[in-house]
Formats: sequence, structure tokens, C-alpha cells
Amino acid sequence: MDIQQLLNGLFIGSIYALFAIGFTLVFGVLDRLNLAHPAVFTVAAFVGIELVEVGGLSIWAALPVVFVVGGLLGLVIERVAFRPLKGRPDAHFAGLISSIALAGMFIALLQWRYGPDTKRFPAESFPETTYKVLGAQVTGVQVAILLITVVLAVGLHLLVGRTRLGRGMRATAENPTAARVVGINVDRVSATTLAISSALGAVAGALFAMNVNSAQLGMGSAIELKGLAVIVVGGMASLPGALVGGLLLGLAEVFTVQYIGSSWRDLVAFGLLFLILVARPQGLFGTRKVREV
Amino acid sequence: MTELILTVDDLRVRYGRVEAVRGVTFEAAPGSLVTLVGANGAGKSSIINAVSGMVRPRGGRITFEGRDITRTPAHRLVASGLVQVPEGRQILGTLTVEENLQLGSPGRRGIAEVYQRFPVLAERRRLQAGSLSGGEQQMLAIGRALVTRPRLILLDEPSMGLAPRVVDEVFGVIGEIRASGTTVVLVEQNARRALRAADHGYVLAGGEIVHSGPAAELLDDDRVVQAYLGVET
Repeated sequence: MDIQQLLNGLFIGSIYALFAIGFTLVFGVLDRLNLAHPAVFTVAAFVGIELVEVGGLSIWAALPVVFVVGGLLGLVIERVAFRPLKGRPDAHFAGLISSIALAGMFIALLQWRYGPDTKRFPAESFPETTYKVLGAQVTGVQVAILLITVVLAVGLHLLVGRTRLGRGMRATAENPTAARVVGINVDRVSATTLAISSALGAVAGALFAMNVNSAQLGMGSAIELKGLAVIVVGGMASLPGALVGGLLLGLAEVFTVQYIGSSWRDLVAFGLLFLILVARPQGLFGTRKVREV
Repeated sequence: MTELILTVDDLRVRYGRVEAVRGVTFEAAPGSLVTLVGANGAGKSSIINAVSGMVRPRGGRITFEGRDITRTPAHRLVASGLVQVPEGRQILGTLTVEENLQLGSPGRRGIAEVYQRFPVLAERRRLQAGSLSGGEQQMLAIGRALVTRPRLILLDEPSMGLAPRVVDEVFGVIGEIRASGTTVVLVEQNARRALRAADHGYVLAGGEIVHSGPAAELLDDDRVVQAYLGVET
């Protein structure tokens, strides 16, 4: 087993996982697919670079700021793309379309501000030190990607499982009407859920930009399908499923590039995900239980 | 005369083009048990949902303890002492029994009181609420409302789908709630049973109140009995 490739797969997989966890959180709690999520990922990459380049922050100080910016974007998404449509009988489909529209606007604003070209972090933004792990070389950024993903995933798991807000989220996921009856402010739960989801997606975007030292307007659409595939394979609405699914996709991609060839990357990676679904249609961590509403 | 805890004046509720409630007026005195009875589709649940803030009325005015709550959302009403036990119980089956109670109130004390009243819930506190029997789920739904320490509790068809023995138990609990000073508005298809428990009754048909009066008088009124309560079985 090639340790270097295994680690590389885990690093890129962590970013997919972080992106997918945010994606699936909204799907699980609010029963909505938020297609503005990839745009938040992209915005965060550009904002991260600007914070370092113009703001003079270190990449580590930029991350919490990106987290907050993502959260604010989540509030905007909830207010603009989802809340006005919530009473409609076609709210699912309407929300899907309006979130795509909002995503388009976010990207247009990025293009207006930064132009169409690839942006990079300024030279010397990244620490020079590399670490030896089991004979493989890893950078500080890579270690941070893995740690941050683990911390955020565990934090979210505890939030959902142990806190009052988490109980409200699970109650809303199961039955929004019943949640309202017992006094839960479902609008506030929705806004908070989108804020948390978008904060995670934003951190994923900034980490992605750091990992490859570039941000492009199209980076969101590239990860969008991967995120969707990951949440389907993990089991719709399963947070552990999104984590494991993201890591698996990262590993599959890296090993395909290494042993078969880079042009086979998507074919093999998505082919594997397809096979998992054939063997386990409900996804890795999914249940067959139908939503009760 | 004591101040009324609940007044509903000319309430109208519609869903699209269907007018479910057409100008209903009723009231409840503090500590009383008021019941709304009538056939399926008479508008009983719509009235309850409008009072509890789950449905926005099309017209009319609702006051709770003297304050206008016509457009107050449910979560604010729960916090201010008005709570609903919905039709079909609506417990959250994927959460544990204790988590269901915590949704109502994070306070330990209220939950301890509910466990005292319903020891079976204390026994099953760590189980998923979906695994409870129908009767236990109804007790959980009532307990979940009681942890909020309401001054007015709205019960929507609490005996629906339960075995006769469990129905007795539910009515026993309703009596206790009322005895503790909490005002109860009870909606029931089991009209005779509800009227026996109530102080005051309103008979609904087609979204309107067609009879009202002290519950005992309604039970003795031949017109009401023949038209709405059916033959005693």
C-alpha cells in the first residue's frame, strides 16, 4: 500500500467530506437540496485568498473569518431562497430552483469583483515545514485539513446529538409540524441549520483553495456532483455517511490517478460509488425508513 | 365575574377555497374544562390549530389572558403558557422519550413531575418514543405539553385510536390536569364522554356552533342527543 497516496486521498477526501456534511445537513433537517452550497464553497475560496492577500491575515486566521462569512451567506440563502417559498405545495422544487438562481448570483458577483481568472494565495502564505508520517511527506496545510475536518465533524455530531438546538434540528427533520406544536421555532432552526451548513461548506472551500493554491469560478460546479454523489452513497441525510463517503471518494480518486491514469479518475471514482449503491441502495449509513411527515 | 382565560370571537379559518370555520365564538373561564364536539370535518381541529398558532385565522380575534394572540406563532404561545396536544399525538419517534420531553422544556423539574405522574415514561425514558404503545405515546404527548407548565392546554382527540381501558386512563389524566387548576379545551369525537367530563360544551357542525351550554344540559337536550350524539351504546 502506498502510504503517500493513501494520505493524499484522505486529505482531498476530508474536503469532500466537509463539503458533503454541510450539504447533507440541510437535506436531512430541512428536506431541501441547497444548490447554492457549491457557490458558498467558491465564494469562500476567493474570500480566503483576499483576506490573506489584502487583509494581511495568515491563512490560519483567515479560516475562522471564512467560517463566519459562510454562516452569514447561509442566513442569506435561507431568507432569500427558501423562506419565501416555504408554504408552497411545490416548495421542494421551488427551493431547488431558487437556490440555483442565488448560486448564479453569487458567482456573478465573484466574477464582477475578481474577474474570470484563477486566483492564488500570495507567495509565502504557506508554512515551509513538512512532516514525515510513516515515510510519507505531508505539509502543514494537509495536516490542518484533516484536523479541521475531524474537529468540525465531531463538533457537529455533538451539537446534533447533545444540545437543545440539536434536538430541535432532529425534531424538525422528523416532523416539522410536531416540532412547531411543542414550541420549536422552526424558522429559526432552519436559519441556524443553513448557517452551520454554509459555514462548513465555506471552510471546505477555503481549505480546497489552500490545498491546490488556487481558486476558480468553476470550482463549485466541479465539487457539486461529487457532493451529491457522496450524500447519496453515504445514505441521504446521514452525517457519518457523508464523512465516510467523502473520504472514500478522495481515496478512490487518488488511487485511480496513481495506478490507472488521471483521465480515468471520474469514471472509476463514480463507478465505485455506483457499485456501492447497487449493493446497498439505501447508502452506507442510510436506513430504508421513509420520512414521516 | 372572573376574567376569561380564552376568548374566541367570530373566528374564521379557510384552506384555499374551503371554509373550515365560519365565525365561531366561544370562551373558557380559568380552571374550567370546555369541550368542542361534533362530527368529523365539523371544524374542531381547525379551531384548535388557530388558537394554538399553528394555523393563521382568516378572520376574527383570539385572546389569551386578555392579550390578543390572533397572529402569535405557536412557539411564542407555548412559552407563554398555551400549549396543544395535537391530534394523532405527533410524538417524535426517532427521539428518545426524554428528548421528547426536553423539547417541551429544558427544565429538569418539569420533566421530573411528568415522570412522577406517568411512571411508565420514566421507565422508558431512554427508549425511542416510536417504540411506545399507542396509550404510552398519548401519555408522552400529554406529558410533553405539561412540562411547559401551561395555564391552558388544548387537547385534540386524545382518545382517538386507543383501547377502551386506555381511554379511561386518558380521561382520568384530563380530570387530574383540570383539578390542578389548568384550563382545558377538549376536542372529541367521543362527544358523550367529553360532555360528561366538561363544564361547558359547544356542538359544532359545518364549521359553526349549533348548540352551546352547560355540558350537563347538552347531554339532557333531546335535540342535541338525537342529532349529534347518536344513540347510547
